[in-house]
Amino acid sequence: MNPNKTSNLDYRRLVRSSKGLDVSLHSQQIRIALLSDAATQQFIPVLKTLLHENGIGAVFYEGPFDAIELETLNPASGFYQFKPDFVILLNATQALRSRYYSHGMEAEFERIPRIWKAIQTNSLCRVIQCNFPLPYERPFGQFDLKLQNSFYTAVQSLNSHLTTLVKDNSNILLCDLESVASDLGRRNWFDDRLWDMCKTFCALDHLPAAAQAMVDLVLASLGRVVKCVILDLDNTLWGGVVGDVGYAGVEIAAHGDGEAFYRFQQYLLSLKNRGILLAVCSKNDQANAAAVFESNPNMVLKRDDVTVFMANWENKADNIRQIRDTLQIGFDSMVFLDDNPFERNLVRNFLPDVIVPELPEDPADYISAISQLNLFEITAFSREDVARSALYKEEADRREAQNSFTDINDFLKSLEMRAVVTRFKEEEISRIEQLFLRSNQFNLTTHRYSEAECRSMMNDKQACIPLQVSLQDRFGAHGLISIVVAWRQADALCISDWLMSCRVLGRGVEQYVMNHVFATARQLRLNTVSGDYLPTAKNAMVKDFWARFGFEHAGGTTWRMPVAAYRPIPVHISELPQPEMAAR
Amino acid sequence: MNSDEIKTRLTKVFRDIFDSPNLELRDGTTASDIEEWDSLTHVDLIVEVEKEFKIKLSTSEVRKMKNVGDFIALIGTKVS
Repeated sequence: MNPNKTSNLDYRRLVRSSKGLDVSLHSQQIRIALLSDAATQQFIPVLKTLLHENGIGAVFYEGPFDAIELETLNPASGFYQFKPDFVILLNATQALRSRYYSHGMEAEFERIPRIWKAIQTNSLCRVIQCNFPLPYERPFGQFDLKLQNSFYTAVQSLNSHLTTLVKDNSNILLCDLESVASDLGRRNWFDDRLWDMCKTFCALDHLPAAAQAMVDLVLASLGRVVKCVILDLDNTLWGGVVGDVGYAGVEIAAHGDGEAFYRFQQYLLSLKNRGILLAVCSKNDQANAAAVFESNPNMVLKRDDVTVFMANWENKADNIRQIRDTLQIGFDSMVFLDDNPFERNLVRNFLPDVIVPELPEDPADYISAISQLNLFEITAFSREDVARSALYKEEADRREAQNSFTDINDFLKSLEMRAVVTRFKEEEISRIEQLFLRSNQFNLTTHRYSEAECRSMMNDKQACIPLQVSLQDRFGAHGLISIVVAWRQADALCISDWLMSCRVLGRGVEQYVMNHVFATARQLRLNTVSGDYLPTAKNAMVKDFWARFGFEHAGGTTWRMPVAAYRPIPVHISELPQPEMAAR
Repeated sequence: MNSDEIKTRLTKVFRDIFDSPNLELRDGTTASDIEEWDSLTHVDLIVEVEKEFKIKLSTSEVRKMKNVGDFIALIGTKVS
């Protein structure tokens, strides 16, 4: 199978592969509805194959042609009966054009949000809304821009209107088809003959690029996100070999020879600032390599921007394994950038899950080549993203402190940990959604919930007890690190979700939370607590989770324990005073 | 390019589009002879023919092409 996100985007190849494709074998299955005012029969096979190549089996509902309103406004429509996980709303510029010339653009500004509202009233599915590739015609020439209501400027304002609206609506993801089209060039994107003959919204050759943009959003929604970029140094991050020319001799400067590298570092810094961890993996002397970061004044990236720094003469696959162990993230969430084809192939060979893009020969083209792969899709952005790099740094300090203790209990005591357990809070919802998406290893059932679903659990005060757990210690705040969702069912408390960030493994957090869960069950006068374990490729670390707490296997995936049998486990975490109790 | 040569290359395109490696074309072959030949695959066919012969076909030319003979004749006038 193709590794993530590097599928070859050839239309005929994708259509050919779609024939006779059995996608039921994938462990991850999703349901996608596609509603459009263009014809989509050619588009669906492309989407299906691309998802398949990313390890996802998709079943499609193709709405009738040009029936977006009919399907979404009627709660009994085939669309709602299909119970989609995602709906793609694909509005064609060509269809917009014909409505614009007959009724003007005003109604359009209301139409799309009305459709969203209808969908969100009747379904919890995630909405992927496409924006409009700008048209090529400009009746007034360049003066068009000065007019409010030429088709060209009206499409521009409609796009920016949609952008503004989705900022307040986390369940709607905008698929930026306009940027896909402009990247390929508007003249190539549109093929009006195809629109006239069969209502195809762009040239056949570009259907895969449009599909890829949607697939990227789906993957990000399912938690397939890049968390770390691993960087080679010589001729990747700067020009020249530091071992030969010294820290001051490498090419890195705002102007002239080192400008390509300077620009590349600025790009990497922007990734770091948006929450992607940077790691170094280089064949170099540690001291030589670090000296560039510490003493070369032209470096954009500083030593502190790099979370894990591996400069040695070991092979790079081993070094990347170590980076994985330090950061506790999956190989498939790592991107490895190296100018040397030998190293790229070595890593591809030994660690096939790591994403290893080809890099062009000329460093001036690095950013453009990487951007084309659109590796860094996300669906939400929270405070924790901004602080992530610092959090992992504090973690390194803690590990250092740990080395000075011989007894783990003494160490845990010295951390002065304090936790807060509360019901989900509105201000944390985006972080909660993100934890659901990003947690793979310490995750008992790996359900991926959207913000809307998280919010609906938060508001279900009768049946649902959705708990968020935050932790701090003397080195700093970890923020929200664990989530447990429990449901009252007759005389039992049933735990549907239990997950925790691997950053806080081995500190007694899960024991602390389990104490809390049983205290809650006792308070509600319930007799049993039950929970599930659904195995995935990544969550083997918690396969004995329930057994370790003394739960009995109750058949299938379910484990159970009488409330009376539970003895609270001593932990070194104290409770921060907190206002509200879990549930009444 | 003579019509035999056009027919050979056209057969290759048809076999690819209709996923049918043994498909044989006659001048009189129409959409009703090939199960998957509908208005959408017709468009796939046109786009592939344009690429194969490096020509451009107009909407009205596309509409007039009903059978394989029409394809061969039109391609013949475009490539010569």
